This record gives sequence, C-alpha cells and structure tokens, in this order.
Amino acid sequence: MAQSGKGKLNYRCPACFKRDLDIDMFYDKEKKQYYCIRCQFFGTEEEVLAENETVRSKYKDYLKRYTSFEDFD
Amino acid sequence: MDKFVVNIIHRPEMVPEYSATVTGHGKEEDIGDKALLTESLDIFKTQQECAHKNGLKTTIQMTYASLFNEEAVQLAKEHHEKYGDEIALTLLGLPCEQFREKYKTKDFCIWMFSMEDKMAIVDDVFAKFHDIFGFYPESTGSYYMDAELINYIKDKYPSVKCAVATCWEEGPKAYHTCNNSWYTFMDGGPWAPWIPSKQNTHAPAANAAEDSGIVAIPHLSRDLIACYDGNGSNFGTHPQNVLRGMIYDSKTWEFPYLYNLIDQYRYLAKFNNGYAYNMMFVGPGWMNKMGRWEAPYELLLKSYEEGCAYYGQLKKEGKLADMTMAEFADYYRSKKGVDDGNYNEPECALWRDILYGSQKQLFWYADPYMRVCVNMDQGGAIVDLRPYVAKLNWPVGIGTKHIQDASYPFLIQEKYRAGYFTHYAGEGTVRSAKICHNGEEVDLCLCRTKAHFSQEGKNRILTLDPVEIEFRDCNVTIQSVITFEEGSSKIRIDRNILSVSDPDAEITINEYMVGCYGTTEYTEDMSSLSLSLTGSNPTTIPYEYKCREACLADADSASCTLPPIETKVSMECDGRDKCGYIKEGYAFSPMFTIGYTGSLKDKEVFTTWLNLEKAN
Repeated sequence: MAQSGKGKLNYRCPACFKRDLDIDMFYDKEKKQYYCIRCQFFGTEEEVLAENETVRSKYKDYLKRYTSFEDFD
Repeated sequence: MDKFVVNIIHRPEMVPEYSATVTGHGKEEDIGDKALLTESLDIFKTQQECAHKNGLKTTIQMTYASLFNEEAVQLAKEHHEKYGDEIALTLLGLPCEQFREKYKTKDFCIWMFSMEDKMAIVDDVFAKFHDIFGFYPESTGSYYMDAELINYIKDKYPSVKCAVATCWEEGPKAYHTCNNSWYTFMDGGPWAPWIPSKQNTHAPAANAAEDSGIVAIPHLSRDLIACYDGNGSNFGTHPQNVLRGMIYDSKTWEFPYLYNLIDQYRYLAKFNNGYAYNMMFVGPGWMNKMGRWEAPYELLLKSYEEGCAYYGQLKKEGKLADMTMAEFADYYRSKKGVDDGNYNEPECALWRDILYGSQKQLFWYADPYMRVCVNMDQGGAIVDLRPYVAKLNWPVGIGTKHIQDASYPFLIQEKYRAGYFTHYAGEGTVRSAKICHNGEEVDLCLCRTKAHFSQEGKNRILTLDPVEIEFRDCNVTIQSVITFEEGSSKIRIDRNILSVSDPDAEITINEYMVGCYGTTEYTEDMSSLSLSLTGSNPTTIPYEYKCREACLADADSASCTLPPIETKVSMECDGRDKCGYIKEGYAFSPMFTIGYTGSLKDKEVFTTWLNLEKAN
C-alpha cells in the first residue's frame, strides 16, 4: 500500500471541525478516501462536502444580511 | 459626524506562512524556492491592486525577507509615490535564507526570542530597512509585541508611532484549534486600538508617564462574540478567515457575514464618541494559488476583491476614512483626547450575535484599569475580567518565566474556569447575584435580557431590560444598572426592585464574585492568596484550600489579594442589612468568593462596587 498524500484541496476533517479543530485530512488513493489521522472520520470527497454542509448548520444567520444592530426581533 | 477608519495592511512575505509547510506537502523544505518567491510577490501585487482599484491606500509592511528582494522594494517605493501608501516594517516574515543563516534558528515570532536576540533582530531589520529606504519606519508590528520589545524599539527608533501589537483572544482556543501546535498565547488584550503602557502591552497607559509612545492596533478586527467563544481565526475582518470558518454559501460563494462584521464595527461609533475602527491584514499565504483548505484560489481571490470593494464602496459613500497606520496613530491620539492629557477614555462595544442567530449580546469595556465582558444572556453577569490596574510586568520569550504565554491574566473567565454552570460540585468564575425568598434562590445568570448603552459625563451606563423572577408565592421584577466611571477602576452595579407582586414580601440578595487567576484552563497555585473582611471586626483567611468562610455584618469591604498577579479585588456595598462575606474554596473548586448579602423590598435598591487595585 503506497503512502497517503493530500487531495486536490486541503479538506479538513468535518468531525473535528465541529469540535473547533482544524485537522487536514490525508487521501488514500487506493480507497479513494479522505481520512482523519486524529479521529475516526473517513469518507469520499462527496461525503466530505456533504458533512461540510452540516458544519454550517450552527451558523443560523450566516446568509442573513443585517441592516440594524439594535433590533432583536 | 461619525468616523469609521480602516487600516489596510499588506506584507510582501517571501516565504508565506503555510505555503512551504502545508501546500508544499510532500516536498523537502526549500526556503529559497524561486517559484515560491515569485508566487509570493504575485500575491502581494494582487492584494495591492485590489486595494488601489477601490481607491484605498495601504500600509506596506516590508518583511525582512522582502528587503533582500529588489522588485518588492521597488514596488513599495512606486506605490508610496503613486497611492500614498506608507512604507513600514513588520517583524513578521522573518524566515528566509539570510535570517536562518544569521540566527541559526527556525523561531520566527519576535516576542518569543530572548531579549538579547530581540534587540539584535530589531537592529538588524531596522538597519536593513534604513539602508534600503533611507529612513526609519513609522509603523511596525507582529502578532504580538511585548512591552520590553516596544520600549526598546521606541527608545532606539523614536520615529515608530504605530504597531500591530496583538491578536485579540488568540490564546488557548487558537492553540486547541491547531491541534495544540500554534503557540500564540495572547488573550486578554483590547480588541480595538489603544496606547500600550510601558509595563504591559495589553494594559493601556493611564498617563503620560506610562505611555509607551506608540498607538497599538489589533491584528484584525474580530467578532466579539464568535471569537470569544470559538476559534479566533474564523471570525475576523480577514475575508479568508471567514472562508476558514466555512461561513459562506458553498454554491454561490456569497459571504454576507463579512459585511455584517464590518458594519457592526461601524456601529460601534455609537459607543465611542463617534469613532470606530477596522483593520484588515491578510498575509499572502492566504491567497495561495493552490487554494487554502476547501477554498480554491478563485474563491480566495473573490473574497479579497469583494472585501476591498466593500471598504471602497463605504469610502465613496463618505462612510469610511482609509488611513495608513502612521496617519491613524496621529488621528487616534487626537480623537481620544490623549494629546490633551486624557488617557482614560474607555473603549466600549455593545456587541450582538450576527452569526448564530442566538440574539445574545455582550458588552465589552476596556480602559487603563480593566477589561470587562458583561453577558446579557446571563442577566448582566461579568464573565471576563482582566485587572489592567496592576500593569503586570510580564516579560515573555526565551529566558523569561513566560516563554510563549503573553496573555494578560484574568480574575474571571467563564470559558476557561467555568461560569455559572459547573459539573457536580464547586463554582465557576463569574460576577452575578442571587435573589432569594422563602428558601428559594434564583441566580440572575438564568435571566436572559438585553442592554441599552448611555453616557452621562464620565459614566458609561449599561441599563438592562428588567427581568422577572418567579417564586412560589410572589413575583419580583428587577432591573440591573451597571456603571463604569471613567478612570475610577470601579464597576458599580445597582439592583432596582421595580415591583413585587406581594408588596410586603422580604427579598434577600446575594451579590457575589467567584474568582481565581490564570491565563489558561488549568488552575494555578492559590496558596499565596488571602481573603479579608474589613469593618468593626476585621477577618483574614489565608488561602489553604480549607473551604473556610467568614461573614461580617455591615462590613466596609470584602476582598481578595492575589500576589502572583499583583492585584487586589474588593467589593463595597450600600444596601439594607448588608453583610460582607468571603469564601476560601477547596481543591476540587480552587476559587475564591467575595460578596455581600442584604435585604430588599419593593422599590428599594441594592448597590455594590467592584474595585480593582494594584497590590504590591
């Protein structure tokens, strides 16, 4: 089995990201799989991207444009 | 008219952070890699173009490495002539072949070197700068600049009047986010520009004698809720940081959060006599052609172009003044009244959540005596407190007690030493009050509310919306008013009973502060602390982890002295049946508590003052 490397982008582990950890994943080209060396996460690129969408769920207002910083309604 | 100032800073970094180690994965290290140098300079040119085409001037912070690059030097000179950019000198970007050969180390953070090396490096880079440009810079900076370093630079190179001097709340949280590999511990400083004292960079100068002679600016303008709670490098006026936080639409590549962040900073003019500030400083490593984490180069570039375009738009609309760092230093001293001898004007920020949708609100206050965070989602509890009054001498770097740890110690820090909520036993650090009636007790930390800011003379006043406390046999409506008197080193808190459903009901109140000291999550040795009550029958408890308590009717004050951080914190009170108390803590709960209990009825007020003093 050949050594792992980086993928085309530096995908971070989405499971670690959710606990405020930035960990680059490595790519196993034989299994076509990104994996985390810190936790047990692994997945294809599609699965990583799907997980990254769930990362955003904590940002309930990340697409909202605020026009006032006083109103709370 | 309000003035919103932006400093846009670029540095030609010939070996950008991350480029060699992260995107260069799989290659042997080559610090002189020509392709890397060419790409780095291209990124710098792109950043400059983004600013200039939007009508914005920049501060070009030359790195040591770039002083050996003729093209970088020539570009700086041209842009100074053509656009009015300031040519400055950063102490970031030291790594290069010449530096490695000379100093025989891979260290690159100026504040972590020994004092001897700091002086040698500063002399080296300032001399090289002078050789190239024929003058000494007016601005400099790093991620952190310790007081000894600033004092040395100011003494030797008096032309310096502005410096990037800290990354706000970049401490244990950033360390953890980087898998415990990012040694920048510098929590506890101001989030907006300030004049560092000669004794401690974080602590603003209180007078001319303490004035270090420079105006410090933070590295980026950070989200005062998101960065306080989470990784600082995701939530600042750094477009690629916003991408790092994945705070963008992955399909449209839109990132309104960045504009909300900039706009909320503009809004802070309301609390600071019409002045607000932003700083944008993106190192070239963040615009790497190979992309950065999930973001391809095209998105990195888009974010920077659009970030500059937004500042440019604000300028065109007359809502923003772009300044160089040196220009800003002059403006700041004049605006804040320092030129007239007043060092006490505080920095205030009533900040709301603009990302998570929680509607949480924090109030941040900083002056030469303290930095305070008040959490309205916890009934106006103080959840972070740094006693700047001590002006703690805290040298950092090799050869000192604090090689990496440049943070200003806290007395209260709810994230590192718990706040209201703890597991199983013990208490966490917080300044709050408990309202009691017939055996029931409610902590104001559980009363979510909002605050309104006002200024009356030298007082900054935070008036909280009233909260209702439901007891079994009566309801009590209480309003908290928190007053910061400029230059007093005190925080006054009034608890006003606005109404009680049973007018005869007797309410008791317990105003308390649970504290400790430190800069990290881990407890320090509390053995040298001592707790005292003053009044008719004074009492002192030396801290021995024995869980002892004492109280004193009509006490003049309840206090704790903390020799390791040369600080005394005390509480005074004006209220019916007041009784001061102190609590020692124990090994599983290594905290101290000072406070007052008293009685209240409908329409009565209970007032306390939290005082901070330097304890020699």
